[in-house]
Amino acid sequence: MSSRRSRSRHSGSSRITDDQINDLVSKLQQLLPEMHSRRSDKKSATKVLQETCNYIRSLHREVDDLSERLSELLENADTTQADLIRSLIMQ
Amino acid sequence: MKNPNTLKKKLASRFLKAMKKLKYKMSPSPPASIAEKKRRHRAVRAAAYASMASAVGPRRAWSRALLRKMKGRKRARRNPGNMNTRFGLNHLCDIVPGGEAMDSCSLLNETAHYIKCLVAQVQIMREILHSSSSSSTIL
Repeated sequence: MSSRRSRSRHSGSSRITDDQINDLVSKLQQLLPEMHSRRSDKKSATKVLQETCNYIRSLHREVDDLSERLSELLENADTTQADLIRSLIMQ
Repeated sequence: MKNPNTLKKKLASRFLKAMKKLKYKMSPSPPASIAEKKRRHRAVRAAAYASMASAVGPRRAWSRALLRKMKGRKRARRNPGNMNTRFGLNHLCDIVPGGEAMDSCSLLNETAHYIKCLVAQVQIMREILHSSSSSSTIL
């Protein structure tokens, strides 16, 4: 996969500083679900990005799984009407 | 950044509308074939991402990328010679919609917003499922 992109070290985008990147990476870390370590533990950027990828993939799988269950739910008459009303009340 | 509750309400109303539309399109009585069940599954999943993209609109690069995809438009130009190979961002840009056209900063920013929306969407879908299964009466 990495062969598709050039590993050029030219400074085309050098105005993006390491600090900016680190700041954004730590913001991402805040979004990760707490698993084995506390969220406030400083993790390496590579680790955070790895976990971010895994987290997004797991969210995609959840959407897929919930979609399947919801599609089965749709088969039951009138359920969606009830949900619509109930969900609007819940807000 | 948008108030998360506003976003969630917007996501919920769009997704529910999409679900209603799917419901009316469904052919009733005979039990669905496996192929039909798969088609419905894919339709609900598409509705989930479509609601996310349209609720966020053109404000974000990832939602613009999803909207382009839904309308069958060409992808945005790949960002040439970007530094995404630093820090191992090369996987992330394949996972976040439109990621291949972003520089590192944008990608990280977009990822954060994308995650928040995904989480909200998942919550909504769970809430719909739970509220349906817990009720025995049909309105």
